[in-house]
Amino acid sequence: MKHFKQLTYPYMIWMIAMIVIPMALIVMYAFTKQGNDVATLQFTLEHFIHFFTDADFLHTLWISLRIAFITTILCVLIGYPIAYAIASGDEKRRNLYILLITLPMWINMLVRTYAWIGILSDNGLINSLLEMLGIGPQKLLYTDFAVILGMVYNFIPFMILQIESALAKMDKSLLDAANDLGADGLHRFLKVTLPLSLPGVISGITLVFLPAVSSFVIPKLLGGGGYMLIGNVIENQFISVGEWNFGSAISMVMAVIIMISMYVTRKLDKNDDALSRKRGKV
Amino acid sequence: MRSHKIVRRLLLGAIFLFFYFPILYMLVFSFNDSRSLTSFNGFSLQWYDKMFHDANMLEAIYYTLVTAILATLISTIVGTLTAIGLSRSRRIVREVVSQINNLPIMNPEIVTAVGLMLFYVSLHMEKGFVTMLLAHIAFCIPYVILSIMPKLRSLDENLAEAAMDLGATPFQAMMKVIVPQIMPGIVSGALIAFTMSFDDFTISYFVSGNGVKNISTLVWTMSKRINPSINALSTIIVLMITITLLLVNLLPLIKERSERQNKPYPKRVLQVASLCVLLFVGFGLSWLKNGTKQHMNSADAIAAFGSDTLKVYNAGQYIDPQINADFEARYGVKIIYDTFDSNELMYTKLQGGERYDLLQPLDHSRITNLDLLADEVKGVSFDPDNTFSIPYFWGTVGIVYNKETVALEDLEKEGYNILADPKYKGHLYLYDSERDSFMMALKALGYSMNTDDEAQLSEAYEWLRKVVTTMDPEIVTDEVIDAMINENKDLAVVYSGDAAYILSENERMGYYMPKEGTNLWVDAMVIPKNADNPKLANTYIDFMLEYENSKRNSLFVGYTSGNGEVLEELSGEGGEFEGNEAYLPRSGYEKDEIFHYNEKARKLISELWTKVKISK
Repeated sequence: MKHFKQLTYPYMIWMIAMIVIPMALIVMYAFTKQGNDVATLQFTLEHFIHFFTDADFLHTLWISLRIAFITTILCVLIGYPIAYAIASGDEKRRNLYILLITLPMWINMLVRTYAWIGILSDNGLINSLLEMLGIGPQKLLYTDFAVILGMVYNFIPFMILQIESALAKMDKSLLDAANDLGADGLHRFLKVTLPLSLPGVISGITLVFLPAVSSFVIPKLLGGGGYMLIGNVIENQFISVGEWNFGSAISMVMAVIIMISMYVTRKLDKNDDALSRKRGKV
Repeated sequence: MRSHKIVRRLLLGAIFLFFYFPILYMLVFSFNDSRSLTSFNGFSLQWYDKMFHDANMLEAIYYTLVTAILATLISTIVGTLTAIGLSRSRRIVREVVSQINNLPIMNPEIVTAVGLMLFYVSLHMEKGFVTMLLAHIAFCIPYVILSIMPKLRSLDENLAEAAMDLGATPFQAMMKVIVPQIMPGIVSGALIAFTMSFDDFTISYFVSGNGVKNISTLVWTMSKRINPSINALSTIIVLMITITLLLVNLLPLIKERSERQNKPYPKRVLQVASLCVLLFVGFGLSWLKNGTKQHMNSADAIAAFGSDTLKVYNAGQYIDPQINADFEARYGVKIIYDTFDSNELMYTKLQGGERYDLLQPLDHSRITNLDLLADEVKGVSFDPDNTFSIPYFWGTVGIVYNKETVALEDLEKEGYNILADPKYKGHLYLYDSERDSFMMALKALGYSMNTDDEAQLSEAYEWLRKVVTTMDPEIVTDEVIDAMINENKDLAVVYSGDAAYILSENERMGYYMPKEGTNLWVDAMVIPKNADNPKLANTYIDFMLEYENSKRNSLFVGYTSGNGEVLEELSGEGGEFEGNEAYLPRSGYEKDEIFHYNEKARKLISELWTKVKISK
C-alpha cells in the first residue's frame, strides 16, 4: 500500500528550500537590524514600532483595506446576479459563458490594465463621450475610481466563477420542493438559493480580497506614481529605498492581516454550514 | 418570465461588454496610424512592424514562452508524483505538506516574491532566467497538487494494488492505472500552471534581472510612455490565446463526433495535428531566439577582449537601440542590456550584498575620443579628470509650463514656489524622484541641495508635504512627457532633456529654470570594480563618444549631448533643437549645483519622500 510514498520526498526538500526558507528569511529580516551578516544578527522590534507608530503608514494600510473592501463588495454585488444569470441557463450556454469569462483572464493582467489608461485618460474615450453629453471632462484616471475599477475588472471573474459553480451544484429539486410548500420567488431565493450559494460567495471573497489588498500594479498604473497602497510601500522599500528589513516587516504585517481575515471568513463559512445543517435537521 | 429573460440577457451583455471593451479598444488602437491612445488617425501596421523588429520585445516573448512551457512541464510532473505520493502517505505527513503547500496560494504574491528574492540574495544567486524559472516552478506546483488531490481522493486505491498483484511494476501501475484516472485533474493543473506562469508579473519582477524580462515586466517598464507596440503585442497574444482555447474546446467535440461515427482515422489526424502544433511552437521559439541575438565572429571578440558579452545597465528609454546593434555588429559581441527606473533602484540592484561605491579607473588608452567632450561637461567637480566617469547626457531640472495658461511673471516672481500657488491647484505634475523633489524644496527655501542638516531637510519635507496635500499634484515619472505634449496640465517638473522633447513636439510649451538654482546633472558612464569585461566596457564608452553615435543618440533620446560638436550642431542654426531653450541649459550660474552623494542625507530623503507620497 505504501508503494508510492517515496514520491513525496523530493518535493518535501524543494518545499523547504523554496517555501519555508524564504518565509523564514522574511521573518528574520523583519526582526533584525540592518547588516545581513548572520554573525552580527541583532534582534529588534524597531521596524514594527516604526510602522505602527507612524500615522502615514497606518493611513496607507487603512486606505488599502478600504479599497480592497469596496472592491470585494462590488464584486459580490455585481458578480452574484451575473453568476445567477449564467447558472440558470442550459448546459451548452453555460459552458460558452464560462469560456467567455475565462478568456480575458488568459490575457496578461498588465496588458488588460494598460488598456484602461487610454480609455480613462483626460482626453480619452469616456471623457469624449461625457463631453458630448455636456458633463465632461471629468478626472477619471489617477483616482480611487480608476483603481477600484481596475481591481473589479481584474478580479471579478474569480467571484463569478466561484458563485456560479456553487449555484450550478445546487439541487434544483429543492426549489421545486419550496415551491410546492408555497414559498414565493423571493422566499425561495432567500431561504434556499442564497444559503446554498454562500460557500461560493465566501471563497469568491477570499479570491478577490487577497489580491486586492496586496496589489501594487493596478494602483501604480491607474492611480499614478503618487498613489500608494500597502503593496506599493513594500515594493518601494525593496526596490527603491533598499530598506529590506523594514520592507520585510511590512510584508509580515500584511501577511498576518490576510491570514486573520481568511481565517475569520472561513470560520463564518463553517458556522453557516453548521447552522444550515442544523436548520435542515429541524 | 419573458422580462426575466430580457434582464438576464442585458446583464450578461453588460458584463461581457465590460470584459471585452478594453481588449477591443487595444486591438483597434494597435492599428492606429499615430502614437495616440485616444484618437484614431488612420489604419497602419507600423506598430506590428516595430514590434517584430524590437529585439527586446521578441526576447521577452521568448523568455515568457520558454519559462511557461518549462515551468508547466516540470511542475505538472513533480506535482502529479507528489500528489500520488501524498495520497499514500500518513495523514500527518499529508496534512503538514498540504499546509505548507498552501502558503504560496494563501500568501499575497508580493510576499512570496520578496521571500524568494531574499532567498536568492542570501545564496548569492545572480538574478536572471534560472532564478525566474525556479520561482515559476515553485509557485506552480502548489496549484497542480491542489487540482489533482480531489481526483485522487475519489480513486479506488485497490486498482493499483490489483495491477501490481497481476504483475505490473509500481511504475506501470502508476502510468497505466492511476494517471489515466486522474488525467482531468492533471490537465487542469497544467493549464493553471501555464496561465499562472504566462501571466506572472509580481514574482518575475522581483526575481528576474540581468536583461531577462518576460512580457509582463517588459510592459511594466514600457508602460510609462505611450507605446502602441504594446497594443500590437497584446493583440497577438489575444489571437494566440483565442485560437488555443478554441482548439482545446473544439477537439473534444471532434473526437466525440468521430467516435459516434465509429471512424478510426481521426485519431491519426489528432496526432498529426498535435505534431504540427509542436513543430510550430518549436520553430516559433527558434525564430524568436534568432531574432533576438545575432552572433557574429565572436571568436575574434574573445581574442581581443577576453569575452564576447558586455552587460550594460542604463536608465529606461535612454538609448537609441540601434547603437547597441551597431556595436554588436562592429565588434562581434553580444550586449546584455538592462534598464532601471530610477537611480535609487540602480543603487539597490548594484548593491546586491556588496558595496557599490567602488568603481574602477577607466582605461584612457582605449578611450580615444575623450577630447570630443563639450566644454560644459569637461572637468566636472566630482571627477575633473574623467578618471572614473565619462559624461553621457547632461542637463538641468526645471519647470515646463504652458505659455498660454501660465504667466511667465508668476514663474519669475515665485520660482519653485509657483508649485504652491493656489492659482495652479490641480494643474501640476511633480516628478517621482526623491532627490530632485528635495532639491526643489531645498532651493525654494534658499538652502543648498547638498545639505544633510536634518532641520533643513525636515523643513523641505514640510514644504513638499504642503504642496502635495494642498495643490493636488499628480506625481508621475516618464508619463509626464506625453501628458505635457497633450497639454493635460499647465506645469510640470521635468529634466531638461525630456523638456527638450516636449518643447519640440508642442510649441506652446516653455522651459523655465528658477532663479533659486537647480540641479546641474551629468549622467555618466562608469565601470564597476567587479565588472566581468572591463576591456570591452572601455571600448563601448569610447564608441558612445563618437560623433555619429552621440548625434544619433541625442536625436533619439532628446537629451543634451556630451559631445561638443554634436551639441553645437543640434542647438545651432538649422539644428534639430534650434531655439529650444531646454536643449541647451544654462551653465555657469552660481546657484546651480552639482549633486554630491551623502549616505546620511540619502537615507533620510528616501524615507521622507515615501512619506510625502503617502500623505497625498
